[in-house]
Amino acid sequence: MEQGRSKELIFPLLLSILTGSIILSVRYGAINISVDEILSSLVKYFLASDDMSLNERIFMNIRLPRALLCVFVGASLAVGGVLMQALFRNPIVEPGLVGTSSGAAFGAALYFVLGGTFKFNTNEWTLPIAASVGAMLSTYLVFILSNSKETGRSSIILLLLTGIAINALFMSGVGFLSYIARDPQARSITFWGMGTLSGANWHSVGIVGFSTVTCILIALRFSNQLNALMLGENEAMLLGINISRLKLLTLSVNVVMISAATAFVGVISFVGLVVPHLMRLINGSDNRYLIRNSAIAGGILLSLADVLARMIVRPAELPIGIVTSVVGVPIFILLLRRKNYFF
Amino acid sequence: MKYLLNFVILVATITSCNRFSNKDEKMNQHVRIVCIAKQYSEIIYALGAEENIVAVDVSSNYPEELKKLPTVGYHRALSTEGILAAKPTLILHDNNIGPEHVVKQLEALKIPMKVFENKGSDIDSTKLLISEIGAYFNKQERAKELCKKLDSNMAQAIENAKQYTDTLKVLVIHFGQASNIYLVMTKNSIAAKMIEWAGGKMAVDDEKGMKQLSAEVVAASDPDVILLTDFGYDRLGVPEKIKELPGVAGTKAAKANRIYRVEEHDLVYLGPRTGENVLLLQKLIHQDGTR
Repeated sequence: MEQGRSKELIFPLLLSILTGSIILSVRYGAINISVDEILSSLVKYFLASDDMSLNERIFMNIRLPRALLCVFVGASLAVGGVLMQALFRNPIVEPGLVGTSSGAAFGAALYFVLGGTFKFNTNEWTLPIAASVGAMLSTYLVFILSNSKETGRSSIILLLLTGIAINALFMSGVGFLSYIARDPQARSITFWGMGTLSGANWHSVGIVGFSTVTCILIALRFSNQLNALMLGENEAMLLGINISRLKLLTLSVNVVMISAATAFVGVISFVGLVVPHLMRLINGSDNRYLIRNSAIAGGILLSLADVLARMIVRPAELPIGIVTSVVGVPIFILLLRRKNYFF
Repeated sequence: MKYLLNFVILVATITSCNRFSNKDEKMNQHVRIVCIAKQYSEIIYALGAEENIVAVDVSSNYPEELKKLPTVGYHRALSTEGILAAKPTLILHDNNIGPEHVVKQLEALKIPMKVFENKGSDIDSTKLLISEIGAYFNKQERAKELCKKLDSNMAQAIENAKQYTDTLKVLVIHFGQASNIYLVMTKNSIAAKMIEWAGGKMAVDDEKGMKQLSAEVVAASDPDVILLTDFGYDRLGVPEKIKELPGVAGTKAAKANRIYRVEEHDLVYLGPRTGENVLLLQKLIHQDGTR
């Protein structure tokens, strides 16, 4: 009973921390924006007033979209981690390790280099779609290649090594494309290595927000089935679950969500690893809670990491992947050192 | 591997950002200009119009006083917040800034930006650029003087060049060497013009101004003289070390000890000092390397 109540309390608590970190991330940076300026610019925006001060414009055009993009990308990466961990039945899997992010980066790089050369008819969805195709390909390759025939479960060594190989393959593809690219395109490619949210605008917030919310809602719908899958495939099948359909659905939801995020912000590692791990410590492995809590906590983590990325070397900016790696690597090693890799 | 790279870049960022910590000593200025073009920065200082310049890009490093200003970073890797921290009322740039999304964000914020009309890509257009910037900052007289001096230095340089009987093949290596790949300047660069005026020719041709070459191609180009820009030269320190580099070893330049250091800001763009710099280059590349 006590246990149940504390589980219910976690979610509102996380939500209020998230609100706090959003406020932090819109207020602080190379220039600090006061609460008054934030409120007045919101009022002016809804009155469609054109008469904004510079700080108000900075808030409306740069800070707010960036803060929201942080939340959506963080949620995508964290939930992506949860889904992958359930699918691979292994708690140390995350989009950056099993090739999803590098595949997405490759797809996006292909779009940037070839799109300019062949003058494709493109619209705002071409980039996320190109990234999705790349991500689907790389993730599926890792999934197939690392699955052991005997147990139907991927062995950790095989999985990590396959991940390294596929990551290397796709990142070398990105490297090749940036080498042959003409200058402006190449500049768009290099940032994928470590990720940055500095390109945030309302357009990217719209696309990533849409894919994040839709995919998380779908994931919540089949979270119970994922719980069953974690028992083992045979057990899940005995419970009447269509395993191959569930696997395909999980993979697709995950890939769409991760690639939309990666297409706009680049590869950000370890969020998908750290967040679900922490949430499991707090609230157990039940995917119904895990997905929801991880989504919010992912948003918190990435918002705070982004504030750090903006503050450490200001007025310049660090790629956010540096910050998340510094936080994530120790936890990753801790997880690896534990004898028991399973849930 | 990627994490190692992250770490290296982190260290590089921290060690290279000593200029980032420069204090803004012009806090009370009403007109606050951020200049993101090294050519403009030098001309503005030569004109004595630097009063309202509050920050520059990291490549703007001539004259020396520029290094005391806060910097907004590398001109192709700008950050919007970094520029905004300088509270600019005007941004001067030469259309060679990026990344694209930062430019779009600055436009969305309606911060005034100005590009001068004249390109400054040959002597005539450089004089026009100096006059244009002079007129903008109301320093017409000083602009005239600068142009006159540029003309007389260039005339002197062309006169000097007539005495040279041979055209030296010069290889200009930029930023030294990274994992045995050399970034060299080609016949399509500003540096190539300077070298031609100085009585030499570039050893490498390409449609891009700069090109990465392997050690083998460097060896095959077999230049008479090798110039290293400041950063790369200083990293290796002494000509003996440079001579040992793969590709450089065995060239005519290495055999005859004709490897010299050149300041990047003397070579890669044209400005009021171009005439002087050509005269310097002439002395540099035509001197006898045997010591």
